[in-house]
Amino acid sequence: MRLKFKWIFSLLVALSLQLVSAQEKMIKGVVSDETGPIPGVNVIVKGTKISSQTDFDGTYTINAKQGETLVFSYVGKNNLSMVVGSSSTINVQLTSDSNEMDEVVVVAYGKTTKSANTGSVASISSEKLQDRALTNVLSGLDGATSGVQIQTSSGQPGSAPSVRIRGFSSINGSNTPLYIVDGVPYTGDISAINSADVESMSILKDAASTSLYGSKAANGVVIITTKIGKSEVPKFTLNVSQGLSSRSIPEYSRVNASQYYPLEWEAIRNSRPMGTQAQLDAANLYATNNVATLLVVNPFNVQNNQIVGVDGKLNPNAELLYADDLDWEKQLSRTGIRRSSDFSYQGRSETSNYFVSISNLKDEGVIQNSDYERTTARVNINSKFKEWFRTGLNLSGALSDSNQAVNGVDNTSSFNNPFRTIRYMGPIYPVFDHNADGSFMLDGAGEKIYSTVRGAQASTGRNIVYETLNNKDIDKTIVLSARTFAEFKLLKDIKFTANYAIDKTSINNSTYTNKLIGDAAGIGGASKSDYVYTGVTFNQLLEYEKAFGSHNLSVLAGHESFDYETTYLTGTKRGQVVNDNTEFINFVTVTNLDSYSRNYSTESYFSRLGYDYEGKYILSASFRRDGSSKFAKENRWGNFWSVGAAWNISKESFLSSSSWLNDLKLRGSFGEVGNDSHTSNSGLSYYVYQPTYSLGYDNGSEGGIVANGIGAPNLKWEKNTQADLALEFSTFSNRFSGTVEYYNRKTDGLIFNVPNPLSLGLDNRVENIGSMENDGIEVSLNAMFVKTKDFSWDFNVNASTINNKITSLPQEEIINGSKKLKVGSSMYDYWLRDWYGVDPTDGYILYVSDPSLIVANDAEQRVVNGVNVTTNHTKALYHYAGSSLPDLYGSFTNTFKYAGLELSVMFTYQLGGLTYDTNYASLMHSGNQYGSALSTDILNRWQNPGDITDVPRLDVNRETQNSAASDRWLIDSDYLSFRQANLAYNLPNNLTDKLGINSMRFFVNGENLILFTKKKGMDPTQNFNGTTQNRFSPSRVISLGLNLNF
Amino acid sequence: MKINYKKYLLAVGSILLLGSCSNDFLDHTPTEFISEDAATADTDALYLAINGIHRSMYIRYENQGETGVGGVMQQMDIAGEDLVYTASNGWYGTVYNWTAPSNDNSQEIRFPYRTFYQIIRNANAIINNADAASGPQEDKNITKGQALLYRAFSHYQLVQIYAKRYVNGVSNSQDGIPLILNTVDIVGRSSVEDVYSQINADIDEAIVLLAGYKKPNNSHLDLPVAYGLKARVNLTQGNWAIAADNAAKARVGKSLMSIAQYTAGFNDYTNPEWMWGSDVVEVQTAYFANFGAYMSRNFSSTVIRACPKAINSKLYNQIPTTDVRAAIFSKTGEHPGITLDPAAKKFPYTSQKFLSVSTADSRCDIPYMRIAEMYLIEAEAKARLGAADAAKILFDLVQKRNPAYVLSTSTGQTLIDEILFQRRIELWGEGFRFFDLKRTNATLDRTGANHNSTLVGGVLTVPPTDKRWQWLIPRAEINANPLIKQNEL
Repeated sequence: MRLKFKWIFSLLVALSLQLVSAQEKMIKGVVSDETGPIPGVNVIVKGTKISSQTDFDGTYTINAKQGETLVFSYVGKNNLSMVVGSSSTINVQLTSDSNEMDEVVVVAYGKTTKSANTGSVASISSEKLQDRALTNVLSGLDGATSGVQIQTSSGQPGSAPSVRIRGFSSINGSNTPLYIVDGVPYTGDISAINSADVESMSILKDAASTSLYGSKAANGVVIITTKIGKSEVPKFTLNVSQGLSSRSIPEYSRVNASQYYPLEWEAIRNSRPMGTQAQLDAANLYATNNVATLLVVNPFNVQNNQIVGVDGKLNPNAELLYADDLDWEKQLSRTGIRRSSDFSYQGRSETSNYFVSISNLKDEGVIQNSDYERTTARVNINSKFKEWFRTGLNLSGALSDSNQAVNGVDNTSSFNNPFRTIRYMGPIYPVFDHNADGSFMLDGAGEKIYSTVRGAQASTGRNIVYETLNNKDIDKTIVLSARTFAEFKLLKDIKFTANYAIDKTSINNSTYTNKLIGDAAGIGGASKSDYVYTGVTFNQLLEYEKAFGSHNLSVLAGHESFDYETTYLTGTKRGQVVNDNTEFINFVTVTNLDSYSRNYSTESYFSRLGYDYEGKYILSASFRRDGSSKFAKENRWGNFWSVGAAWNISKESFLSSSSWLNDLKLRGSFGEVGNDSHTSNSGLSYYVYQPTYSLGYDNGSEGGIVANGIGAPNLKWEKNTQADLALEFSTFSNRFSGTVEYYNRKTDGLIFNVPNPLSLGLDNRVENIGSMENDGIEVSLNAMFVKTKDFSWDFNVNASTINNKITSLPQEEIINGSKKLKVGSSMYDYWLRDWYGVDPTDGYILYVSDPSLIVANDAEQRVVNGVNVTTNHTKALYHYAGSSLPDLYGSFTNTFKYAGLELSVMFTYQLGGLTYDTNYASLMHSGNQYGSALSTDILNRWQNPGDITDVPRLDVNRETQNSAASDRWLIDSDYLSFRQANLAYNLPNNLTDKLGINSMRFFVNGENLILFTKKKGMDPTQNFNGTTQNRFSPSRVISLGLNLNF
Repeated sequence: MKINYKKYLLAVGSILLLGSCSNDFLDHTPTEFISEDAATADTDALYLAINGIHRSMYIRYENQGETGVGGVMQQMDIAGEDLVYTASNGWYGTVYNWTAPSNDNSQEIRFPYRTFYQIIRNANAIINNADAASGPQEDKNITKGQALLYRAFSHYQLVQIYAKRYVNGVSNSQDGIPLILNTVDIVGRSSVEDVYSQINADIDEAIVLLAGYKKPNNSHLDLPVAYGLKARVNLTQGNWAIAADNAAKARVGKSLMSIAQYTAGFNDYTNPEWMWGSDVVEVQTAYFANFGAYMSRNFSSTVIRACPKAINSKLYNQIPTTDVRAAIFSKTGEHPGITLDPAAKKFPYTSQKFLSVSTADSRCDIPYMRIAEMYLIEAEAKARLGAADAAKILFDLVQKRNPAYVLSTSTGQTLIDEILFQRRIELWGEGFRFFDLKRTNATLDRTGANHNSTLVGGVLTVPPTDKRWQWLIPRAEINANPLIKQNEL
C-alpha cells in the first residue's frame, strides 16, 4: 500500500509541474443562475485540455489566452460560451435546460427519458456508488429504492447478495431478477463487475418495463450499464481505498463454563426418579457422579465427581484451569483488510469514444483463510464510421482468486462449518490439550496439541480451529464478457441493430482436507471441480421513430436467441503421499470422478410500440413470444404482453404556469410475463419435463441407474400478471418530490415441487398448481430540507409493503416444511405446533392439544387455565402462527453538504415479520446435547413448582418434546440496520488548480455498521423465508479512500 | 450521402435469417439422465435398473447416518438390547432411547420408510415393464425375479417396523403398510395379512423366474436368496413348516465359513457363507456414510473413536470361551491385534466383528443374508414344530463356531431358548434383534448389563404391549397421502 501512495504522490508532483506556461492570463469570475452562485460548474478552454470548476462560492479561475473561448457547462443548464477579451474577469449566468428534470432512463432494449416513461423504473447513478467499499456492485441496490429487498451477502468476501423485486412470484422457481449488462442478459458472475465501471443501475419493477424481456423478467430486471467515454477532454480517474472489516452481528449470548456444568447436572438429575426423598438423593448423587463422564472434559481443578455438589451447585473451590483457552472464536477471527485501487481513462471525439479501466481489489474476511482478490479490466470502444453505421465493442475480463470459508449457507450443520461449530461449542472445552495442572500439553516437537476429545455433541473428534487453518477451499475464477453491436441507419427514421454477446465464466475449485483431523483423518484428500458457464445471446432489433407534428411514434421489433451451457467436471482422490502438495498426482486412490453438461436455450420474438402527444399523453404497448427448452414441445411457447400509459399533468396548460408544482405525472401499466427460472437449474431443472433415470448408480463394475424424476410433460410457463399505478410529483423548485405506487402481481400456474407421499418412491413432482397474489404500496419521498449556498440537507425515505395470498390450489392444502399452502393464506405463513407454555407445577412443556387426538385418561393430556394442552408434541395442534413477511420495509438516507464536505448516512429497516430461529432453538436444548452450548435464556428455566417461566425444565429425556418444531421458536424479525455512512471531502478548486488536477476527493465509508434486532445474535436479514442458518454473517467494513480526476 | 439502401436491407435480411434458430434449437438431451422409457426398454436396460437397486442398498440417503440398508440394520440392532452404546453418541441416539418411534417428525423413522419405498418404486418399474421389454426371455426372468424379491424384501422390512406384529392363526386385519405395486397409485394401508400375502406371492413368482440363474456375484439375488427370504418371512409369520423347508432349500450346496474366516472382519462378500451382500469399491465409497463408518471397530470416525459399539455384557458372558464368537468382541476393550486410531477410546465388550479396510477407509462389505441364518431358521422352526432333528441342525451350525460344542439334549422351550441365544450371538450387528423381539412378542430387557441408564434415556425395559413397537408413519407421508392412517400416538 505504501508503494501505491508513493506512486500517487509522485504523480501529483509531476502533474503540478506542468502548470508552468506563458502568455496566458488568469481569468476569474462567478457563475450563477437565477437562485445564486453554482458550485461545480465545468469551465473549459475550448479546443484545449485546460479546464476548471467553480468552487462553493461559484467562483472559478482558469488560464486562457485572449481570443480563446471558455465553455461553461453544468448538468441541467444550457452550455454557455464566452470569448476571452481584455478583461480578466468573466461573470456569467447560466439558464436552465428545458429538459431539466428529464433524466435519461435505461429501459428494455433502449433508453427513454423519465417523463416519457410509462413504467416503474428506479435508477442508481455512479455517484451513489463511487465512495462505497462495495465488493459486489449489487450491494449498492440496498436501500436505494422502494420495493426492493436485499438479503445482505454473507461475510465471505466477494459473495453476492440476493435481490428480490416486489417479493416473490414463484414458490419453488427462481425469484432472482434478470440481470442485463449493457443491453444483453448477463450470465456471468455479478461479482466480476467492477463497481467503478458502472455508469448506472436501473431497476425495472412493473410489467410495462419488464415485459419486453418476457420470460426472463417475471422477477423484475436489474439493468447495469457500464461507462462509455463521455469527456471531450481525455480524463483520467484514480480511486484508491483501504479499509478494515470486522464482525458486524454479535454472537448469541451463551452461558459460561461455571454455569454450564450445574445446568447439565440438573438436566441429568431431572431425568431420574425423584418421587421420594431417597430417590431424590439417589438422583442428585447420580448426577454428581456422572455429569463429568457425559461431558467428557473437566476444565476445573477439582475431581470429576466434585465439580457439582449434590446440591446442584458448582463446587466453590472449583476454578478453571485454563480459562484463557476456552475462546474458540478468538483463534480464528481477525480484522480483515480491504484494499482496492482502480483507474480508468476515457475520451471521445466526433466519431468515436473509449473507456478503459483496470482495477484490483483485495478483501479479507473476518475469519482466517477467507479472502477474495479480483483484478478486472474493461475496454469499451464505440465508433461511428459513417452517418449510417455505428459499431462498438465492450470487452471485460475479471480474474479472481478466493479462499472460501466453509459457509453455513450450504453447510449449515457440517462439522467443518466454523460458524456452527464455534456457536455450539460448549464453554468448557479448550482448543488445545492440557496437562492435569492446566499447562499446555506439548508434542515431541514442543508444539501445542489440538484437542479432539469432547462431549458427544461438541464436535468431538474434530478441531475446527485446526481444520479451518489447515484445510483449503480455493476458487479461481475467470469471467470474460464481450458485447458487440452493429447499428445501421437504414432510412432517416429506421434503425437496425444487431447485438451479440458472450459471457463465459470458468470456476476452478480445489479443496484439500488435511490428514490429521477431520473428514480425511489419517489419509488426506483433495478434490478439484471445474465449472464452465457459457451464455450466448444474439438479437436483432429494428427501430422506427418518427414525429408527426405533436405526435411522436416509436416502434421496435426484434428477435433474440439465447443459448446457455453448463459443464462440470469433478474428481476426488485420497491418500496423500507427501505433505504440502495438494495436486492429484500426490494422492493414491480415486474415490470420485464425474462430469456432465447441461444445456438450456430460449428463443424470442418481440415488439414494442410507443406513442406520445406533446409529451403529455404517453402510451406504450409490447408483445413478446418466448420458447423455452425447459418445457415439452407442445407447451414450450408462451405469449407475453403489456400496455402502459402516462399523463404528464404538469404539462397541461392549467398547471404549466404553476409556481410551486414542477412536475406531476400519473402512470399505470398492466401486463403479463412468464417464468421458467431462466438459467437456474435448481429453480427448475433444465430437463424437468422428461421422466428420467439417473446415471451414476453403478454397482461395482456393473452399470446402474435409478429413478430420478417423475417428469412433467404437461408443465407450462408460470405466468405473472402485474398491474401498476403510480403518481410522481415534484414541487417547490424540485425541493420536495416523490413517487407513490401501488402494484398487484398475480402468478398463475405456479410451478411447484409438490411433495409426494414417501410411499410413491420419489419425493416430489413438479406441477403448475395454482395462483398467488402479491400486492403492495411503495412510497419514495425526497426532501431537500435545507439548501443554502454552503449547506444543504437532503432526506430520502423509502417504504414498501407487501402482502402475499394464495388464491387457488388444486388440492385443499399442501404442507411443506414449516409452511402450509392453503387458499387464503400466504406462502410465508408458518404452519407450526401451537406451543402453549410451561406448566408451573412440574415444568413440562405444554402444547395446545389437537382435539381429534384427545382420548380419556391420557396421562399426556392436561387442562391448564381451561385450555386442553398436552405434554406430547405429537398430539399438539398445528396452526397458522404468523408470517415471515414484513409489514413494512425500506430505508432512509440523510445527506448533508457543507462547503466541500458531504456526509450521507443510510439506514434500512423492517417492521413486522417473524423469523423461525433454528439457531436459537439449538441453543435451548434440554441438556441431552452433551457438550453443546446453551443460551443464557436457559437460566430462566423452570426449577421449582410454582415457577412461572416459558423455558421448560431441563431433562435429558425430554429433548424431543421440548425442542419440537413449534411457534416457540418464532422471533420478531423487526430490525434497524445502520447500513452505511459516507463522509467525503472535495478539495477546493484553488487547491486542485494548483495541483493541476480537475478534482480530488477523500472519503470515509462504513458498511453494515450496526444491526439492531429483537434477539442478540439473530440475523433476520439472511433469508427471505424467515429461516436461519449458521452462516458467515456480513462484515462491517470501514474504509478510507481517495478519488482523483485529471 | 447517396447510398443504395437496398444493399443494406439485403445485408440486414440475411442477418435476420442467420439469427433465426433451427428447429431443434430448443431441444436438449441430458447427459446425467436417460429417459424413463429407455430405462426399461430392453434387457440391457433392465440389468442397469436392477444394478441400480443393488447399488441403492449401500448409498447414503439423506443424513450421513443413513447408510442404505446397512443403516436400517443398525437401527434394528440399536433398538434392541444386544447392542450397547459405550458413550454418549448422537447417531441413532433417538432409536437407542426409543424416542424416535413416537416422533412423527423424526428423521430416523422417515429413513427406512423412504428408503424401502424408493427401492420398491425401482423394482416396480422392472416388474411391470420386463415382459414388454425386448431381449431374451431368460434375462427378463432374471431381472424381474430379482425385482420381485426386492419388492418382497422391502415390504417385509416396512411391515415389521410400522405395523403391529403378525400373529399366526388369526386374521391379521390390523393396519399394515401401503402395498405399492406400481409407480403411479397413491394408496392407503393394506392389512398386515394382505401385505404378507403379497410378499409371499412375490417370492413365489421369483422362485419360478430365477430357477437356474447363476449369479455373477453376491450383490445379485438368486434362487437360494429367494428361498432364504421365504424362510425368513414365514418364520416371522409363524408358518414353521414353510420356514424350515425353505431354509433347508436355501443352504443346499453351501458351506459355513471356517473359524479363521469368522474373525477376518465380516467384510468380504465372497465369503462362502454369504448368500447376499454388497461390496463397496473405492470409487463408490460413501465416506462417512458407509456401514463400516459406524459398525466397524477400526475406522477412525468420531462415532467409532468416541463410542465404539459393544455387545450386551450379560449376553457376552454366556458365550463359552471356546466359541469363536467370543473372539469377535474384546472383553477388555483393548483389541489386541487390531490397528486402532491412537485417539480411539476403549470400553469393555466392544465389537470387532466388522472391520473396515483401514482406519482411514471406512468401506466394509455388508451382509444381508448368510447360511448361518438358514440353520437357525430351520432349527427354530423345527424345534417349534417339535421335530426331532432340530437340535442336530443347531449342532451342525454351532460346532463350526465352537469345536467343543456338544449336541443339545434339550427339547421344547428350553431348546427354543438355546436356539434364540445362538441367534443373538450369531447375528449380532446384522439387523435382526428388534424384529426378533417383536416377532417373538418378547420384552426388551436391557437390565443387568452394560447399558448406561442415562444414554438409553431410562429405557431399560419395554413390554411387548408398548405402542412404540409400531414406529409412527412419517409426517411427510401423513401430509401428502390423504389415504394413510397414523399409528396410535
